[in-house]
Amino acid sequence: MESGIVLPPEILGYFYNFPITNTLLVSWITIAVLTAVSILATRKIKLVPGGLQNLFEIIIDFVYTTVSDLAGDKKTKVFFPIVATFFFFILFGNLLGLFPGFGTITYKGEVLLRSMNSDLNMTLALALTSAFLTHAFALRYLGILGYLKKWFTLNPIFLFVGILELVGEFTKVVSLSFRLFGNIFAGEVVLATISGIFAFLVPLPFYFLEIIVGFVQAAVFMMLTLVFMVLLSEKHAAEH
Amino acid sequence: MEILNQFGINPVLLLAQVVNFLVLLFILKKFLYKPILKVLGERKQKIEDSLKNAEEIEKRLAETNEKIDTLMVKTSKEIREMMDEANKERALHLEETKEKGLQMARDIIKKAEAAGRVDALRMQQEVMNKMADIVAVGLEKVTGKIINKKEQKVLIEKEVRNLS
Repeated sequence: MESGIVLPPEILGYFYNFPITNTLLVSWITIAVLTAVSILATRKIKLVPGGLQNLFEIIIDFVYTTVSDLAGDKKTKVFFPIVATFFFFILFGNLLGLFPGFGTITYKGEVLLRSMNSDLNMTLALALTSAFLTHAFALRYLGILGYLKKWFTLNPIFLFVGILELVGEFTKVVSLSFRLFGNIFAGEVVLATISGIFAFLVPLPFYFLEIIVGFVQAAVFMMLTLVFMVLLSEKHAAEH
Repeated sequence: MEILNQFGINPVLLLAQVVNFLVLLFILKKFLYKPILKVLGERKQKIEDSLKNAEEIEKRLAETNEKIDTLMVKTSKEIREMMDEANKERALHLEETKEKGLQMARDIIKKAEAAGRVDALRMQQEVMNKMADIVAVGLEKVTGKIINKKEQKVLIEKEVRNLS
């Protein structure tokens, strides 16, 4: 109960000097689950799909068409895996966090499992990765000069706008990370609180809500990353 | 940076999560995106091919139908010609047969006529013979005596000569 309101992740132990937190453990579990599921889905891949393959085909086809609609055919091949990985990682992390055992099983007095994205380390890492890759792609597609022109021009008004946008790049990271963290952390707290009040049936609507929130947050993170990538790697965007 | 401490931000953990993400990116790229996108592409290709094939088949069907139509027209014309010819030939044949039949009938009539004449001659001969007998009997009655063989013969011959 009390653990639900603790902001930093609980440290379960140290591997040499490396702290193993419960959220890190869950992120590893998430990776393992995703790997297992994707291998299962594509192990006996057929032209006429069935079961898991069908499900993943629908998701991937949807994400792929969304990316190619926004980014165009050439950049889609580069953007798609990153954007889709954000989606799958966050979605599976969020959904996994709703399983029984999360927040209830303890290990040496600490909560063993805690939803991956209720740790700012995780969401900030994702946001930083997203921002880094966005700028890396901008550099790649625009060249150094084109990239710098986005922020600095001789026109004083646009120079000011450019500086504002530079600040905006940092706020993007903050908003991306804190949006995801806030939503999932709040969900955890709500679930813990409701379960504390009455553990049977009453938390169910909140679980449904959290499923939706988990999906929406994954989709939002994916879409925002995609849009940032497309906008920043587009030519002439600064001349508006 | 007090706020970061409050949230438990740890550079090592941050880095670990970035690495996690990159590992997952690699794994999913290899095991999920590549095979699925490949199979999606294959299916798209297959559907395109099938559509193209269907179009081709339809075109060919139309061509075949046209061919059949022209062939039918040609065949029916040929059949009509053949029937016409057969009719003509039949008419000719009928004429010939009629001619032949008539000829045959005429021959038969001629033969019958010939046979009839022979019959008539023979009948005349017979009648004459009978007549001679009758005359002989009549003479015998008239003369009241039986003429001897020699006389009889003479008399008959004489009478017959008169008769004929």
